[in-house]
Amino acid sequence: MIIDVHAHWGPWFFTAGASGTAANLAVMDRYGIDRAIVSSSTAVQYDAPSGNRALAEALTTTDRLYGYVTVNPRRLQAGERDLRELLSTGRFVGAKLHTEYTGSPITSPQVRDALAMVADFRVPALVHTWDRSVLDLAALCLDVPGLRAVAGHLGAAGWRHAIEAARACDRLYLEPCYSHAPAARLAEVVAAVDDRRLMFGTDATLIDPACALGSLIGAGVSGPTAERIAWRNAVELFGLPGGLTASPSDDGQSH
Amino acid sequence: MSFDALRADATMPIALDIDVLAGAYPDRPEPARPIHTEGVATAAVASLRAALSDARAGNDEVLAMTAPDVLPVAAVDLRDPLGALAELERVVGRGIGAVRLFPDEQGIEPDFPSMRHVARHATGLGLVILSGGDVRRFWRPYAGLGARVVFLDTHFYHLGDFLLVARDEPGFHTSTRLLNSPDGLELVAESVGAHRLLFGSRTPFDEVAVPRLRLARSGLSAEQIALVAGGNARALLAPMTTGEPT
Repeated sequence: MIIDVHAHWGPWFFTAGASGTAANLAVMDRYGIDRAIVSSSTAVQYDAPSGNRALAEALTTTDRLYGYVTVNPRRLQAGERDLRELLSTGRFVGAKLHTEYTGSPITSPQVRDALAMVADFRVPALVHTWDRSVLDLAALCLDVPGLRAVAGHLGAAGWRHAIEAARACDRLYLEPCYSHAPAARLAEVVAAVDDRRLMFGTDATLIDPACALGSLIGAGVSGPTAERIAWRNAVELFGLPGGLTASPSDDGQSH
Repeated sequence: MSFDALRADATMPIALDIDVLAGAYPDRPEPARPIHTEGVATAAVASLRAALSDARAGNDEVLAMTAPDVLPVAAVDLRDPLGALAELERVVGRGIGAVRLFPDEQGIEPDFPSMRHVARHATGLGLVILSGGDVRRFWRPYAGLGARVVFLDTHFYHLGDFLLVARDEPGFHTSTRLLNSPDGLELVAESVGAHRLLFGSRTPFDEVAVPRLRLARSGLSAEQIALVAGGNARALLAPMTTGEPT
């Protein structure tokens, strides 16, 4: 079983092929990924409410995708409305905050207010982190009671900061997606961080899952640690159904 | 599915890896891995000593590598263009068939005279150029020369720009290393042909399992995968890989 906790649904502005639910499922099938938690690319890049609602429609067509409610820290009222309406559908299991598209650093007052609001809804937040900003997220986690945050990209090239951040706050989780693959990055993280705090994430359909998967395999991750990263921690953190079964494509064969 | 089930594809056989570096960057930790990778038959190896400090000494180091899986690639210093032109002449005389350029590491912009002159001279000598740098800017010094270039840093964010210039330049190729979108490899094959794709890993600084797994699970045909995994590189570097004089 593999659960991807950092994926997207919808089009990208780069030169790329098809988008939409079929594109998500195709890229998941390529590597045997059973479930993915996705945010709307439109919601992240441009307009959160319309992107969130388009995603809600898409989630009615497949049980292999769960949703993040994207919250724009500069549009807190809309974010609160979206969280209230969409979490109640049962198909959304967390919130997504992107700090760069919204011009909202983790240290900004609006991100603090947004994450405090997410914590009040008692769902985890996936937050974009890059370099040292993962330390800011750990500090915010310590300040906001009940906040559980997944550091998207685990700081990218700043993975050593992510190690320090994870050690600072036990409500901070790390996921590894990154379009580059520095050698030893994930080996260092896995060796230094409690494996109950590590998740599997890809950034698909922007980034191919080969980046995260190849990096984990190259790091020699296996056994119980691999199982925790691949799906157990995600089931626990996001409260996914314990009886999740592998997708029909999970036949152990090459795709 | 589990991570273990993907391990075989993440270690798929590679006939020729176009992007391998010997040595170390002084501002980074020592590489944790050797330049030799299991399952990689041949590695095109360039010297960081040559790129960062002493071109002649570094090139002599890779020329002295006798392991059968090493294909030596020269490097020159674009900060010393006159010396670079002379070094190109010297290494060609030693049987080298490819030169790697490091504009980012050497602080070189695409419009610097050294870039254009070295590109022209290397092409005139029949050398294949392995080029670092952002392809959106570094296509320019190679354009219109009939140059055979492999862009080593083509990121999938910039793939559209590579495809545009590759249409005009039949000698332009790209490494697979950063084409990590779900359809990056497939778009290149569809747009300009799979013969423009060469497997590159940047061993030992990047994780070689990533481009291997991406290629193994790509939408390319088995024949195209074999070309990308080394067939294209062998054809491009034919005089070097067959032992014929350049």
